[in-house]
Amino acid sequence: MSELTTADRIAMYGGGGLVLIGVVGIGVLEMLLGSPHPVSGEGQIVHEALVPLEMRSYVILLGFLIWGLYAVYKVAASPPRRGTGTGRGVGTGGDD
Amino acid sequence: MSTSDAITDVRTRMLGNDVSFSVSQPWLAYWLVVMRLVGGWWMLHAGLDKVANWPFDASWFVGGAAAGTSLGPLVTPFSGGLGLAFTNVAVPIGQVLIGLGLVLGGLTRTAAFFGAFMMTFFYFINGETGGWAHGLVTGELLGILIFGMIATIGAGRVLGVDAYLARTDLFRNHPRLQYLIG
Repeated sequence: MSELTTADRIAMYGGGGLVLIGVVGIGVLEMLLGSPHPVSGEGQIVHEALVPLEMRSYVILLGFLIWGLYAVYKVAASPPRRGTGTGRGVGTGGDD
Repeated sequence: MSTSDAITDVRTRMLGNDVSFSVSQPWLAYWLVVMRLVGGWWMLHAGLDKVANWPFDASWFVGGAAAGTSLGPLVTPFSGGLGLAFTNVAVPIGQVLIGLGLVLGGLTRTAAFFGAFMMTFFYFINGETGGWAHGLVTGELLGILIFGMIATIGAGRVLGVDAYLARTDLFRNHPRLQYLIG
């Protein structure tokens, strides 16, 4: 059973949570409480947003930023463990 | 050797719950390489197209479209002079290298990371400029997620150059470098 580190939790729940809130959560709110979403002849959706689109962008962007920082941290902080996909055969000197 | 129904068990915890499930080994490897090839060709084609039609001019994007968007402050400084000259080379060459890395499975995680990085700019700037008129779930968003998944799981050892790189002394003796391959 693999356990999550604090960094894993921040990336998974913090980063992923913000992306999901921005894309799905606010999207559901817009569907339920926002104005109608008529689709124009060009396939464009024109409507007044309940949550400002700029704010929605920043929520998603913050999620991506956390994911990106986690990736950099992961490379900088510790080498991969043996027995994982990344650490297979690391330092054994033998055949994989 | 695995048969087509060979499975591997994933056992972990998520949101405080025991999460255990089985994955078909051959199908996991199959989908990893399919995602890598399609995502890689996406970037490789975009890069080669720009190189074939050289010179590439990104000023309409970094100077025009990006202005006023959430990523504008990071991008517009590259809209003139040396910054623009750098961008005009970095975007096509970056896309070619990212595409090659993914298609060939070489330095796969590095390529996927920078693919997601580059796609983040396209996603927000194209989306905000167009008023998100086609919704927030666009091809660029799915690209970010696919590149993120490849960078997380790694796919370069499936029919890729990274399978060879992983056995070299350089990568064996420097475990941290393993994060750069897939």
